[in-house]
Amino acid sequence: MSIWPEERLSHADTEGFHTVDMTINVGPQHPATHGVFRMVLTVDGELVTACEPYIGYLHRGLEKLSEINDYRQAMAFWDRTDYLAGLLCEQAYCMAVEKLADIEVPERAEYIRVMLSELSRINSHFMFLGAFGADVGSFGTSFTYAWRERERIYDLLEEVAGDRMFPTYYRPGGVAMDLPENFEKRCREVLGHIFQGIDDLDGLLTGNEIFVERCRALSPLTTERAINLGVTGPVLRSTGLAWDLRKAEPYSIYPQVKFDIPVGLRGDVFDRYMVRLAEMYQSARIVEQCLEQIPGGHFLNPKLPRNLRIDDAEAYVRIEGTKGEYGVHAVAKGGNRPYRMKLRSPSFCNLSALSEMVVGHYVADAIIILGSLDIVLGEVDK
Amino acid sequence: MSEEKATLPPLAATIKKALPRAAYVPGLTKTDLDLRVAPAELLVLVQGLKDNPALDFDYLRNMTGIDMQENGLELKYHLYSFKHGHTVQITVATPPGESHLPTLTGLYAAANWHEREAAEMFGFVFDGHPDPRNLLLEEDLRIHPLLKAHPLQPIEVVQGIEDGKAGFDF
Repeated sequence: MSIWPEERLSHADTEGFHTVDMTINVGPQHPATHGVFRMVLTVDGELVTACEPYIGYLHRGLEKLSEINDYRQAMAFWDRTDYLAGLLCEQAYCMAVEKLADIEVPERAEYIRVMLSELSRINSHFMFLGAFGADVGSFGTSFTYAWRERERIYDLLEEVAGDRMFPTYYRPGGVAMDLPENFEKRCREVLGHIFQGIDDLDGLLTGNEIFVERCRALSPLTTERAINLGVTGPVLRSTGLAWDLRKAEPYSIYPQVKFDIPVGLRGDVFDRYMVRLAEMYQSARIVEQCLEQIPGGHFLNPKLPRNLRIDDAEAYVRIEGTKGEYGVHAVAKGGNRPYRMKLRSPSFCNLSALSEMVVGHYVADAIIILGSLDIVLGEVDK
Repeated sequence: MSEEKATLPPLAATIKKALPRAAYVPGLTKTDLDLRVAPAELLVLVQGLKDNPALDFDYLRNMTGIDMQENGLELKYHLYSFKHGHTVQITVATPPGESHLPTLTGLYAAANWHEREAAEMFGFVFDGHPDPRNLLLEEDLRIHPLLKAHPLQPIEVVQGIEDGKAGFDF
């Protein structure tokens, strides 16, 4: 008998040999699911034949809570959605309230917002690089490198806003307080470290053949299918469609800064990783330009009403969140509380495409595919 | 009415030209064009918006349920066209107690989870939905928390400051 397994198999008698599909539960308390996400995989040997996602373990009733608090109070809940980039969620919420009440935002406040939001985006993408590297098998190494840079960004956010993860720093009509005096110097310092950190992770992951081989050509998605599934953000851009809300439907001061939209070629897991990596450079580029262009003036609209009351109005405000289109559908019907606040969560929509994407792949690859979607459960479960 | 029509964006005229037979009432929100349509006409309108090459709404952005209390429920759809870059909002109002709507899962795969969420949060029934189970709530829970009539526990009771039983009976 041969020592090679393939030859042994070809000689084996497979008549009357039946295998039974097995069900594997992954999560909700499992590090590979990036939060309290649970999926039930049906596997035939090593291959996934069906995937059933279960969400809602972190459902806090964000939309109901927004209805029973007034416009300014409710904002504090919103940076608990995408908690890796809380300021972006605050920006969307504030923009929705401003749209409803026709509040003008001073230009300085817009610059501050864009700068801090882009830093949050970098922060969130660092988290992706670290966690995704760990998913693929670099264990703690990529995590440690990513955390080093995230810590610096968090320190900077703390200096500006007083808190690291949930600053509640923006206000409808501007931001809560002005930038500290040495912000420009500190920010340039952090940016220098960020560029170095991205390069380090690039070398560690993209330069690793095992990493590349595991990710390349894995679970490719076509543009048409991605659109039909409602997938947005880096996952959509990795399929080759240069669609970024900062350019497609420009808001804030994004028309005044120069940046490019990185796109992928094949829409596979490797492209999703590369798009995010390239996006971090672009975000850092935006912050650099903002530092040079930021004007003086008010940081908060001085003519704001003390009690914000909004008559009948409706708006669907969308911004480019870290994971895709982050939309806030706000409906006001008089009074100082929103009548309805709906979050269009990019992670939620991207995750709904998961079961289709993992079928036909190995169990170990299913974890990588889930990681490549870069979900945040606070945002999925609301 | 004539004044209102003058302010409608050019997209309204494009839709009218492309779908002359569709029955809807155009309006405006702060951000988008809004088409108000009856539940029976919804599927025909969305199909037309999706298939007509001049409109080409290929992406379902969002779906929002709203409790209008005595006027029943409303569901709002946001569609987007990647080719033309335009957005439209569709509003469907259902009378109280009869919140049946056709499912859009046949047109947009993205509608699946959006509809499951709207169904559990508001009590919509999507006829023909392939997987009508709870999504965010527990699987056997038959409550609709985002209805305005859904009770909220006062924080004083939960913290034990005021008398009362903490928790709900469902």
